[in-house]
Amino acid sequence: MVGERFLENIGASAMSTAREIGGIGVLCGRVMRSLIPPSMDARELVRNMYKMGNMSLPIIVMTAFFTGGLMVIQSGIFVKRFNATGIVGWGTGYAVFREIGPILIALMFSGRVGANNTAELGTMTVTEQLDGLRALSINPIKYLIVPRVVSMVLCLFMLTVIGDLVAIGGGMLFSKLILDVEFSTFYWSLVQNIHIADLTHGLVKSAVFGAAIALTSCHFGISVRGGAVGVGRAVNAAVVAAAVSIMLLDFFLTYLTA
Amino acid sequence: MIRIRGVSKGFGHEPLLSGIDLNIPDGIRFGIIGPAASGKSVLLKLICGLESPDEGAIEIDGEDITGYDETAMMKVRQRVGMLFQNYALFDFMTVAQNVAFPLVRRGELAPEQIDEQVRARLRAVGLAGSEDKMPSELSGGMKKRVGIARATIARSEIVIYDEPTAGLDPVTTSKVYDLLRGDHEASGGTVVAVSSDVAALAAFTDQIAMLYDGTIRYQGPSSEIRDAQDPVVRQFVRGDLEGPL
Repeated sequence: MVGERFLENIGASAMSTAREIGGIGVLCGRVMRSLIPPSMDARELVRNMYKMGNMSLPIIVMTAFFTGGLMVIQSGIFVKRFNATGIVGWGTGYAVFREIGPILIALMFSGRVGANNTAELGTMTVTEQLDGLRALSINPIKYLIVPRVVSMVLCLFMLTVIGDLVAIGGGMLFSKLILDVEFSTFYWSLVQNIHIADLTHGLVKSAVFGAAIALTSCHFGISVRGGAVGVGRAVNAAVVAAAVSIMLLDFFLTYLTA
Repeated sequence: MIRIRGVSKGFGHEPLLSGIDLNIPDGIRFGIIGPAASGKSVLLKLICGLESPDEGAIEIDGEDITGYDETAMMKVRQRVGMLFQNYALFDFMTVAQNVAFPLVRRGELAPEQIDEQVRARLRAVGLAGSEDKMPSELSGGMKKRVGIARATIARSEIVIYDEPTAGLDPVTTSKVYDLLRGDHEASGGTVVAVSSDVAALAAFTDQIAMLYDGTIRYQGPSSEIRDAQDPVVRQFVRGDLEGPL
């Protein structure tokens, strides 16, 4: 009896997960189709880029700055023990560009922008605003979703570029303050050992993470059922799904390019 | 002419509408009444193509729209204006932008002409001076009137009102119906309205239908519904405590 129920629960979870993945896939297809030829409401795009990019900048800058510092603090004990001040710049840059920068900034972005996007679209769904658009012969995917997806991909990409630079700045400052590593030592260690591929690897990841956050947050937003409670559930599910997607995609992207 | 032939619709395993047949002639004001959750709003959404029937067909001017995809349906919806029960105002736009939206999307008028029409429409629904407010700053009644202004501004061939006077005081209700009547006389289109205010709706419409238990229980002149032979219809319209309901 207990075993049966256990299997039933596993089956139900698997069905539900498959349904959500299928829904995200269908949405992805509809977004891609709307982008050929590329056309979208420019005002919506600008409005979203301001809201998602500009408004996220302070929190991303602050997180990135301390992340850079954290890298130095964590590696400080070994740097001191082996007197390896010459590799602090490289170590910080390598970790920030390839892994820590894209992933941390994506998670911050998902928590701030993705959750907000799901709540906004969910509220629009339960208050019939999406039906209102359709009744006015406007395709909600083209008018609302496509600008958000494009905006999230572009914003996360640009925020990652800025965040990477700020994290390096933070690392450089904390290297000087904690390990007494000269700025020039840090700088030359960075530029002589970091390759352009390290940077592009992270930036490709950020674009993929941006698309994942956008599609999951939009999917859960437009498929809300059940009023305000449903919106809360959708936000929760979107944040979890985005975090899991980021981790899985990060693993596969790293594995494939290793 | 809007023809609904054998339309059924359900959600999950629950059937809501079962084999509905309705003919709504051109140019009339048609009302739909029925108890709460009897499928009135769903029927309006079916006419507008926002929902698709599980069975049956819906024709507008002889054109069967039942199997239309979203792109084809958009052309049909260009002929329809709709007021939603929950207003469906776009909360990221001001009142004026909401009302102007159908005209802006059509792109047939200059911005100054649209501005002028928006102001006139808002004046007509008693909301002059509210142009720059956001929907979140409005009361329920005000939102309803903005919704009416948006549904009627483009003077569509078919206008659908889902509870146009819910939440309004009696005087505003009379004003709204007066406005809708004036609009209808000016445009000559077809109006389909759903309301829980049976007396006001019967006074506003030419014909009326009652939905009950997934079927059409009455269809006929609005002026005669109070004297309907069906005890369910009579009790519902008169609001009697005694009866089959």
